[in-house]
Amino acid sequence: MSDAGNSFTKYGLHDVNDLLEISLPNTEIKIERIGENAFSYFRKDSEGKIVEKMVPVKSNQIQIEVAPIRPLNHPARRTGYVFLKFDKEIYLSENSAASIFVHCPIEIGIFLIHDSHHDSLDWITCNPLNSRFGLYGSPDTGTLCKYAEVSLATDYSDSIPFVEGVMKIVIENTLSSGQTVSKVIFPITDNSLYYEDSKAIIDGIKVTMKKRAVVSIADVKTAPVSTDWTKSPTWEDTTITTSMEMGLE
Amino acid sequence: MGRHYYYHKYGDGIGIMPIEFLQNLSEMQIVGNLTVLSLLIGGIIMATGLIIAKVVKVLFYKYYAPTLPKDTAQNLSKLLYFGIIIISFLAFTSSQGIDLSGLLVAGGIFAVVIGFATQSVVSNLISGVFLMLEKPAKQGDTIQIPDMSISGTLLDIGTFSSRVRKFDGTVIRIPNEKFFTSNIRSLTASTVRRADVMVGISYKDDIENAISVIKKEIEVTMPFVLKVPEPEFRVEELGDSSVNIQVLVWHPKDDWSQAQPILLTTVKRALDRAGVEIPFPQRVIWEAKD
Repeated sequence: MSDAGNSFTKYGLHDVNDLLEISLPNTEIKIERIGENAFSYFRKDSEGKIVEKMVPVKSNQIQIEVAPIRPLNHPARRTGYVFLKFDKEIYLSENSAASIFVHCPIEIGIFLIHDSHHDSLDWITCNPLNSRFGLYGSPDTGTLCKYAEVSLATDYSDSIPFVEGVMKIVIENTLSSGQTVSKVIFPITDNSLYYEDSKAIIDGIKVTMKKRAVVSIADVKTAPVSTDWTKSPTWEDTTITTSMEMGLE
Repeated sequence: MGRHYYYHKYGDGIGIMPIEFLQNLSEMQIVGNLTVLSLLIGGIIMATGLIIAKVVKVLFYKYYAPTLPKDTAQNLSKLLYFGIIIISFLAFTSSQGIDLSGLLVAGGIFAVVIGFATQSVVSNLISGVFLMLEKPAKQGDTIQIPDMSISGTLLDIGTFSSRVRKFDGTVIRIPNEKFFTSNIRSLTASTVRRADVMVGISYKDDIENAISVIKKEIEVTMPFVLKVPEPEFRVEELGDSSVNIQVLVWHPKDDWSQAQPILLTTVKRALDRAGVEIPFPQRVIWEAKD
């Protein structure tokens, strides 16, 4: 299962026969058969946190898909917005546009494929220190975002395996004066992720700085990537609280 | 009577018996024009009204309430339930031939008397209405009422009183009048909140270094502390025994437990690791020589 070039498991589908070990940076995952129709899941992450689950299934064959997902779950899911702070400011003169690639943090989703189901089993982050919150606006009316300081990337192949994907940002300045851009805030929930081997790319965004009445605004729209890389499944939080007499989580 | 009954049951007049029975009931007067039959019809109307009210309430909770805010759903549910019951009651009174206009005149005088006697009840009722309109806090909010030293989760704003579940798990009932006229601090109305602690370092230690190590420890070990706005450090006081530094950090509104209770531990750990002294109160005594 492991890549000969490095010791880490690649993104993609993996069959689970008796034991599957997935090795990711600072993270260890084991899926083991414990019965004809039952598997155990074990994960120890970079913060030393251990997660263990029992996975009973109908069929005796399961597959695991390891795929990059949106960076919204660590330390807890609180928002769908992302705040990217550029390490270098970008200056755009009047009526001009620029296209840049940036490193955007990602998380890794572990998906369980069994009995024609595709379930979200677990998620991890290989770089928890760059997984923090930030506020855009005032404390009472502002928007809570996942915050990351990001550097420029050369192109889509510049992805940092398991830690950062590459995102294309097109910035257009239609205002009558030059503008300096140091950050971008947008909802990442509409951006899909794609993977190949251990690299990931994220749907881009197009930022248009324009005048609306007397106010200058930055309009952000998703710009889907055209690629032949594999599209990641959407991570869905399956931990819900069901109302019943004694509760279930 | 027995023979009569036998005749109707097995004779040609099947079906006449219930009509006759009802006629008998309509002839049985209780008070004035009130007969057993009219009372029975009234009872059926009220029972039907109650059943409809309950069914509507259940259906409302099942299909519409999940899409509405909790307190709005609860108020609408009460409005529907009691609205149907009042309509049923009006239908009941009209079926009994009761004229309510006289009652209204008498009720006006009676209401003044009752009003004086139940000022606080009416006051609570009116305050409840205003609380529902103004909505200083909504169901599920974490609130603090400093005047009454109450902190907890607002369970509901009722007709006469509101209920708050305190952090120790007990539920306290607050009359709406007191609730409405008190200062209410909402702890979850803003997107983020701030936690703060004070720590003292010795005069011989470098302030910049102490702040730097605290900041680094917070960054590494407290994932719920916001990067923007970043943690703030204020040298608050040159105290008797120490230089007092205030540490202020922002966190998402729902994650108070991941910030305030562990902030001081994190600060102390950082200072201990860096060898920065947290001094005890001390006094320097100079001994005079003769």
